[in-house]
Amino acid sequence: MKRIFPLLLAIVALTILMALWVPQGRFLTASNLLDLAQQIAVNAILAFGLTLVILIGGIDLSVGAVVALVGTIAVAVLASAGWIVALAAGLAAAAVFGLVNGWCAANTRMPPFIITLAMMLVARGFALRFNEGRPLPIPDTERVFLALGNARLFDLIPVPVLLMLGAFLLMALLLHRTAFGQHLYAMGGNREAARFTGIRLARNEVTVYVLCSVLAGLAGIIHASQLYSAEPGSGQGFELNAIAAVVVGGTSFTGGTGTLPGTLLGAVIIGILDKGLNQAGVHFSLQYVIKGLVILAAVYLDVRRRHSN
Amino acid sequence: MTPVPRVPERPALALGVPLRRAPLCGAGFQPASSEFDVAPDPRPRLRSSRGRCRALSRGLHGGLPGVLALLLAGWATGCRKAPESVAPTPAGGRLFAVTFQTMNNPFFVDLNEGLRRVIEAKGDRLVTLDAQFNSLKQKNDIADLLQQQPAALFINPVNWEGIKGSLIEAQRKNVPAIIVDAPVSEPDLVLCQVASDNVEAGRLACEALARVNPKAQVVILHLSVNKACIDRVAGFRAEAGRHPDLKILDTQEGKGTTEGARPVMRDLLARFPEMDAAFPINDPSALGCLSAIESAGKSGQVTVVSVDGSREGISAVKAGRLHSTSAQFPAEIGRVAAETAYEHLAARPVPKDIKIPVRLITRDNADEFLSPP
Repeated sequence: MKRIFPLLLAIVALTILMALWVPQGRFLTASNLLDLAQQIAVNAILAFGLTLVILIGGIDLSVGAVVALVGTIAVAVLASAGWIVALAAGLAAAAVFGLVNGWCAANTRMPPFIITLAMMLVARGFALRFNEGRPLPIPDTERVFLALGNARLFDLIPVPVLLMLGAFLLMALLLHRTAFGQHLYAMGGNREAARFTGIRLARNEVTVYVLCSVLAGLAGIIHASQLYSAEPGSGQGFELNAIAAVVVGGTSFTGGTGTLPGTLLGAVIIGILDKGLNQAGVHFSLQYVIKGLVILAAVYLDVRRRHSN
Repeated sequence: MTPVPRVPERPALALGVPLRRAPLCGAGFQPASSEFDVAPDPRPRLRSSRGRCRALSRGLHGGLPGVLALLLAGWATGCRKAPESVAPTPAGGRLFAVTFQTMNNPFFVDLNEGLRRVIEAKGDRLVTLDAQFNSLKQKNDIADLLQQQPAALFINPVNWEGIKGSLIEAQRKNVPAIIVDAPVSEPDLVLCQVASDNVEAGRLACEALARVNPKAQVVILHLSVNKACIDRVAGFRAEAGRHPDLKILDTQEGKGTTEGARPVMRDLLARFPEMDAAFPINDPSALGCLSAIESAGKSGQVTVVSVDGSREGISAVKAGRLHSTSAQFPAEIGRVAAETAYEHLAARPVPKDIKIPVRLITRDNADEFLSPP
């Protein structure tokens, strides 16, 4: 609680700011806030996976392309095999990419930045194989698949929000309540030291990359469902937005530091900025400037805090 | 803001100390949206008065540096609003909103201007958003705009399938949606669609070619993911069918850009020595084509016809390098779209599908189009 307090404070401050700034008090309404939760879902799910990867000192640039690939595979399979097979095929493809990323990172001296950059191109290329790169529509009859991105529980809570919270709970338990999670902190803190204590680095590293990819797959399925179509060219730059949420949420790029609740709040902050600035009518060019400055300020505060300790 | 959690308790197992470098390592850090796509519009969009901005800054003064940075930037936008005007402007008339697939293209900048001129002339205001070719961002942007109950929403969709969810949402909120420049797959969900007559643009290009060279051996440089380009090529092919001696040698992907079209055209020139004409689907790829032709030493031997009517294209026509370009009128698309919205708001019926005519530009009339509007 103590660690995420500054983030909560920032969220409250931003919410007050936007509530005053957005005309006619249209920011602080229940439907707008539910929209906000729905809008951050894809980014937050990507950020959960990236938190683990960044925590152990790695990086995964392929998540955006995996979003596109999984969505495309799932929708391509959907028509012939039904939604269960479609989801399984999509997530399996994601897991394969995670395995390759993780195996290379654990067993070769290639830097994860380069490995996942290369795999990003591979995933993007595979995605663009479908339908010559044009979007594949999801037929209206695929109600379950479309519900994943568009339905609301009790006509109120969007399903993507539930999926996001589910992923959050699972990953938070894994990271903060299991030995595996503790091992990840140890690996990120000092890899050599972790090796000498007998932590199985390679196995953990592969697991982390697979988790990250599978979460990206889940995000891809939600993304496709939300868009009523799979778009092979979509997801470009998603990795960067997710990394922004992770870093704003207090995970250090050097590894060993960070929490999952922090990442969730980081995603909320990025979401409030996007939404609030849109609704306040700020010109889109300035929105980028503001977002960039906020990220810079967040990282600066993080670095300063740790140096003063 | 966003002060970040303190260094968490180090797990018992971690024996070492983490590196204490700044976390900004690697080029992958900047968010995707951090580049400018277009010069900032000098007109402020914000309605809040100076007083409110000050109150805001005061209210949050002493906050975290991040919040301050945000406020500063916000203040910079918000308080630029008409510093001279003493009487407060009325609360801004009705809100209109437009979302473009990209603003990194003069075509859409002109289209936006066309919309804005009409809307601001009526004392209303227009908010413009740039989706940066990201359908999810476009969907989120539209959801944000719909929360503010705009009088009408103009959409230039990134993905003509993927816009469906947003259209359903707009319909649910009773906000009329008008599609500009690109078609959507569900025309029933929108009030109307306003676009160039792209089939006609392709047809005009072929007709112009057949006039100067009825036995042309043509290659097409396509951008096959784009519906507008698909229509242009369809128009070109239909007209080509009426000229039995005109032969289409091949259709290749030119990516719709100068740098994409150039190498493709070079390969085609080598492959088809008999080629004497080319149809690149827009002016940027036409420029790439011309560059390839000139560097192959075939200037003047290959007739190039294109679609767009951009300044660069018209200049090339005037210089005699490009034979012709079928001009689109983006500002006109914007004007018609805005006027259609007002017609609808005045409860008058509007047509479902509006095609803005295109015009063929050749050397004879190039000057007329080059003069400033």
